[in-house]
Parts: sequence; structure tokens; C-alpha cells
Amino acid sequence: MKMQLRHIGDKTFTFASGMSVLLMVAALVLILGPMLSRGAGALVFDGTVEYRKMQYDMHGRGQRKPLETQLKNAAKARAEVYRLMDNFAVMVDTSKVQKQAKSIFRQFKIQLSNQVKNGTLAPEQAASLKFAGKELRNKLRRAYKTSNAQEAHEKLDYVLNYADNRQLADSVAGQLFTLARQYKNVVSAAGLKHRETYAKSFREVQEIIKELLGPQPGDPMPDLAQFQYGSTRWGRAKILRDRLLWAETWVAQGPDQPLKKTLMPREDQFAGTELAKLFPIVEQNLEKMLLPQRTFYWQYFIDDSTPGHFFGGVGPEIIGTVLLTLLAMAIAVPLGVTAAGYLVECTGDGTFIRIIRTCINTLAGVPSIVFGLFGLAFFVLYLQPKLGVGSGSTILAGALTLTVLVLPVLIRASEEAIRAVPLTYKEASLGLGAGKFRTFVKVTLPAATPGILTGIILSMSRAAGETAPILFTATVALGPVPKSIFQPTRTLSYGSYDIAVGDRIAAMVPHQQYGMVMTLIALVLVLNLTAIIIRRKLESKLRGH
Amino acid sequence: MSEQMTNIEQTTVVETEPDTCCEPLKPTLAPAPQCAKVSPEISETSQPVITSDKFCFYYGKAVGVKDISMDIYPKAVTAIIGPSGCGKSTFLRSINRMNDLIPHTHTGGVLAVNGQDIYDKRVNLVNLRQQVGMVFQRPNPFPKTIYDNIVYGPRLQGVRSRSKLDAIVEQCLRDSALWGEVKDELKKSALALSGGQQQRLCIARALATKPEVLLMDEPCSALDPVATSRIEELIHKLKVDYTIVIVTHNMQQAARVSDRTSFFCLGELIEYGLTKDVFTNPTNRQTEDYITGRFG
Repeated sequence: MKMQLRHIGDKTFTFASGMSVLLMVAALVLILGPMLSRGAGALVFDGTVEYRKMQYDMHGRGQRKPLETQLKNAAKARAEVYRLMDNFAVMVDTSKVQKQAKSIFRQFKIQLSNQVKNGTLAPEQAASLKFAGKELRNKLRRAYKTSNAQEAHEKLDYVLNYADNRQLADSVAGQLFTLARQYKNVVSAAGLKHRETYAKSFREVQEIIKELLGPQPGDPMPDLAQFQYGSTRWGRAKILRDRLLWAETWVAQGPDQPLKKTLMPREDQFAGTELAKLFPIVEQNLEKMLLPQRTFYWQYFIDDSTPGHFFGGVGPEIIGTVLLTLLAMAIAVPLGVTAAGYLVECTGDGTFIRIIRTCINTLAGVPSIVFGLFGLAFFVLYLQPKLGVGSGSTILAGALTLTVLVLPVLIRASEEAIRAVPLTYKEASLGLGAGKFRTFVKVTLPAATPGILTGIILSMSRAAGETAPILFTATVALGPVPKSIFQPTRTLSYGSYDIAVGDRIAAMVPHQQYGMVMTLIALVLVLNLTAIIIRRKLESKLRGH
Repeated sequence: MSEQMTNIEQTTVVETEPDTCCEPLKPTLAPAPQCAKVSPEISETSQPVITSDKFCFYYGKAVGVKDISMDIYPKAVTAIIGPSGCGKSTFLRSINRMNDLIPHTHTGGVLAVNGQDIYDKRVNLVNLRQQVGMVFQRPNPFPKTIYDNIVYGPRLQGVRSRSKLDAIVEQCLRDSALWGEVKDELKKSALALSGGQQQRLCIARALATKPEVLLMDEPCSALDPVATSRIEELIHKLKVDYTIVIVTHNMQQAARVSDRTSFFCLGELIEYGLTKDVFTNPTNRQTEDYITGRFG
């Protein structure tokens, strides 16, 4: 009976431990899997023609000839969209045509005064023509302003009555008739009843189209790079297409009920207008407009990003992270190993040493933000001005803060490793007449190196991934690649944090965030792998194989 | 502390050395004590290298050894035998002050090497340990190459010339009868050697500092009989040039290799004399009991 119980106990234990291992693996896969797969989206994705244009403009990558052909084809596919938009824009938003009318009249006035100067036109005649032109302009503007179709028609008819006047029609003022005819077409086709209701929805459509296809040809080029191009990624383009096709509306559910979000086809919103045609066109032809191609953007790891992480890669972030980590380790490792050596070799077990040990252990558990604030207060605000090096956040201050952060862990690991070196090695060395220091450097330290490397691996991963300690001491979200260690830098950890809190950007460029996280994980992995390989080599050398 | 010194009779099977098949196996447990080659007359007349006069060693309050008075003569093998915890290792390790590693210890009496009290404050430990080399119970080569193991000591003494170091390595390996086996793999890690080879390497390493005295703390207890016989053979060869003090648990070994034997019990020196006298005609009852196996 007892034996059976023991068997059951053993089996339960085996099962439980097996399950917990499985659980850990599953958790790891669940956490890392999506992060890595999404992060890979920063590297491998369907790039649109806009992406290729951007790459060509900014980095001179790709070939010009095929790109021009593609752009031409895309423009052809987009032409219909722009025509429909322009026509509809005239109805909804007449400010543009109003301005046009105004400028036509101004040119007309200049033309008249020139003709008077030349003597081809009598001054009285010019005055009457000018009066007529002014009248036409005013009527046209009133037609543009009104929401009443009847009134608009009246005013437009009034204007068009003058179309037969050869003197007016042949001059610059003739363009006013063209405008009037266009607007008459629009008014008779759509009516003006829902002008206000369309306005808001149409603005949305305009925004989406602009984000999707870039600025309309002929429009002034925006200053910010992110507005100069349409969707560079097909995935993003598809999201925008859906937003274009389906409008989000909040529908009342009744008293005391929350509003409910519903999706409504935008085609229905614009039913009966000419614009309704736009949506099926976009739905069917978007691929022709953007020409997506599978792209492998390996330059992601070296490219600088244009302001706001909109385009480009994480080159400066990688440089910054590596620089900070390696600098921190370069300071921490000699300090930590020396301290550990001192604690093991040169001290007994006195109260003072015990207090120091306790302090080190406690420090290892202090939250990293505390180190960050310490770094801000001590290195950035006190030490730097005192020494006159750097101002504000600098790589050096960040590295020193990280050093303080990883030192306790490093000391603990190194201490254990040094303590684990067999006493016989030490005896042998001392027996040959070596001093304490020489024994430590020549015998104990080499034998402890694999263990110390483990500590270095652990602390290096921590230093590379920490955000809080460098938050106030070393990083900026955006900035140039640092030229010296007395300048701030961008880092992967802070970069992903920054994109995450800048919620608008995060929604627009999720791949950047995931890409950064993936790069960080990969970087830590690479650093660790290197250290692990070195440790392996050392271990086998020590073991004599 | 004395537990540390305790020797658990090692029966661990060490890798058989590849070359042993070439030589006939020697009967390792041959009891005949016929090894006192140096005639007692010569030893008596020569000046002792190590003189111990009422030497005491304490671990804190516990006694390690007490009132040890004995002279150890040059170019001879002196064996220290005794039951576990009797202080033989403590005494041996006192001779080159290896016990300094243990905190809270102190000594009494005089222990002198070449007339110099080694517990004097002015003694240079580095010089002492180069003068008095040590071979430990378990083979403890450094995790370095064979070559680096041997030149460790000479480098400490400031020998830098490559050719000199090479000569030392060859000489020491020849002296420790290892040269033939490892001459082609001097750059291999010492840990790749078998246990017996490692121990001979440790002896070679100790010889490299040109010591006068060689202390051996149960050098064969972690080795198999074949390796043991080779080490014993080596000890025979070495005593021509070196003064050897060996601690052993194996009374046959003491009888085989030593010229003089001292018997320790409970931290005290019970009997000390020529090996053949101690083994054939012990003056003390305790010694007799121990040797004949009635006690210990």
C-alpha cells in the first residue's frame, strides 16, 4: 500500500514537472511567436509603388525606368478616382472654384488695362466690360455659395446668357463660362440638398484617398515626408480601403443605452451622387493603383528613420543600444570581477563584509526606475556640469547608470564563479610560490571565466533591454546618430516605448514597433549567442578537449 | 579540519595509461621492506634539512599536531604514517606553510628549513615554497596546457627566455618519467591526461622550481595500482637529488619507498626511525599494533 502511494506520488511529481515545463514553453512561444512574426513584417511585406518611389527618392534604391513605367500605370488607374473626386469637390466644397473665379476676374482686369494702354480698346468700353465681368463673377460666387439648387440654376443661367458676348467669351473672362457650365452640370446631376451632410463624409474620403494614394497630382507637395507618399505597404492600404468602403457610424440604441458602433457602406452614404461610383472602382482597382510587390527590406537594420519613424529603419537605434550596452559592460565587467575577487579572496566573514554583501543583494532587486532617477540626479545633473562634459542626456551617463544597475548581478555571479574554482588549483599555485594576486589572475580567474561569462550574459541582456535607467540619462526618441559618447542616442527599448505612447503613430506604423521589439530580441539573442559560444570554447579548452 | 586530511582509501579506477602494456606490470603490493638504500650512517652524519623542535599547530583551539620533534635528512625519503586525523597532513603542510590558507590557526615551537625558522615573520613565503615544493593528494594540474603547467613556477621566478623554458620543461618531464608519453602533445590541455599522468605532471611542475624538499601528501591515494607503482618508482629515482617527505596511508608503500618512517597518532609523534627498524622491530607498542593491523 505504501509502495503504491509512493508510486503515485512519483508519477504525479513527474507529470506536474513535465506540465510546468510544457507550460513555460507554450508561454514562450505565445509571447515570442507573435512578436517575432509581426516584427518580421517590418522586413518582409508587400511594398506598393509608393514605397518604391519613396525608396528611390530618399535612398536612390531601385531602377528609374521600371519605376517610371509603374508610376505611369498607377497614375492611369488613379485618374478616374481623381476625376470623380474633383467633380464632387466642386459641389461640396466650392471654396476652390470661388478662388478660381476670383483669380480669373483679376486676370481679366489686367488684360483690359493692358489693352487700354496698347490703344486697342477704348477706356469707356473697358470700363463697361469690367463692370460686366464683375457682375458675372458675383453671380457665379453667389451660385457657388447657395444650397438652393433653384437659385443656383437661376444665377448660372444669368451668367451663361452672356456666353454669346464675343468680347467676353474670347477674353480671359470666357473661363468663367466654363466654370459656370461645369457647376451647372454638377448641380443638375446631384442637386445641392445634402451639401452639408456630404461635406463631412467627403472630407473623410478625401483624407483616406490622400493617405492611400498620396497627394493628388497638381496639389502642392507637403513639407513632411510622411505626407508626400501614399500607402507604402499593401497591408496598410487594405485597411485604408476598408475604411474607405465602410464608414463608422455611432447609432443610438435607445434611451440609457450606449451608442453602438456600426459599419455602413459609404456607397450608400453617397447614393445618388456621382461619387458613389468611386467606391466600386477603388475596391476593384486598388491593386492596379498601388501595384504591390513582395519586398524584403533588409536595410531596415541600417536605415535611419525619417522623422516620426514613419519610413526607414532602426539603424541608429541599433547603434545606440549596442553602444550603450557594450560601454556599460566595458565599465561593469572589470569593476564587478575585481569586486567579486576582493570579496572572495581578500576578506573573511566579518560584519562589515556581511553588510556589504547584503547591500549588493538588495541592490540587485531594486527597481530599475530608481537607478534611472539616481543616474539623472547624480550623473546628469551633478557630475556632468561639475566636470563640464556633455549636457543633459549622454551615452556616457546612460552607460554609467546601466553599470550601476548590472553591477550587483555581475558581482554576485562572478563571486559564485570564483568561489566554485576548486581549492586545489589555488593550492597548487600557492605551493609553487605564487602570490595571492598572481594566483588570482593566472589561475583562479581563467578557471572562473565560464561562470563569470554567464553573469555577463545575464547582465548584458538586462542592460540591452532596460528602458527606465536610460529614460532620463541617455535617450531621445528622435535625433541624429551620436558622434561621441557625450551626446544622447536613440535606443531600441526607448524607441518602442515612445512609439507605443505616441498612439497615433503606433496605429499608423505598427510594424515599426514590432520591428523594434523583434530587433531588440534578436540583438540580445545575438549578443548572448556570441557570449555562449565564447563560453563553450573556453569550457572545452579548460576541460582539455 | 582533520576530516579534510582524512584519506578515504581511493579505489577509483583511473583510466589505464595507454603505454602500460609495453612494460611488465610490477607487483605493487610486495611487502618486502628492502628499500633503505641510503645507509643510515651517511644520513646520520649529514646535516638535517628540516628540523622540528616541539612544533605545535592549532586550528583555533583544536590541536593539529603537538610537540613534534624530528629531523628530516637530505636525499632520503621520510614517510609519515598514522591513522586518520593524526595530524600527518597537518605537519606536512606546515613545512611549506600551506596551512596559512586556513584562517584562525597558530603555531608553537620551531620548525626550521635549512636552519631558518619558517614561521618567522621575516620569512619570504615565495622563496620558502619554491624551496619546498609540494605534490597534493589529488592530481591538480592547472586547466592549462602541459607546457604552461610546468613553466608556471619558472615564470614566477622570472625565467622568460623561450629556450630556457623549453629546456626546463624537457628536463622536468624526463625527471618525472613523463617525457616519452607527452613530448608530442605539450600544447594539449593537462586535464586530458590520465590520473597517473596528471600526478606525474604535478611532480614535474613541482620540480620545475628546483626545490630542495619535495612534500608529497598521499600522492598515490587517488591512483590505481599501476599508476601508483610508477609514482613509487619515480620517488626512488628522485631521492637521489631531492629530500622527500611523503604522507601515506599505505604502510606497504611506506615500507617500499622510504628510508625513515615516523608514526603519528592523535597529533603526536609516537615513533621515528629507520624504516626497516620501525617495521621489523618497533619500539612502541602503539606502532606495533598499527603496523600489524591490530589498531588504526
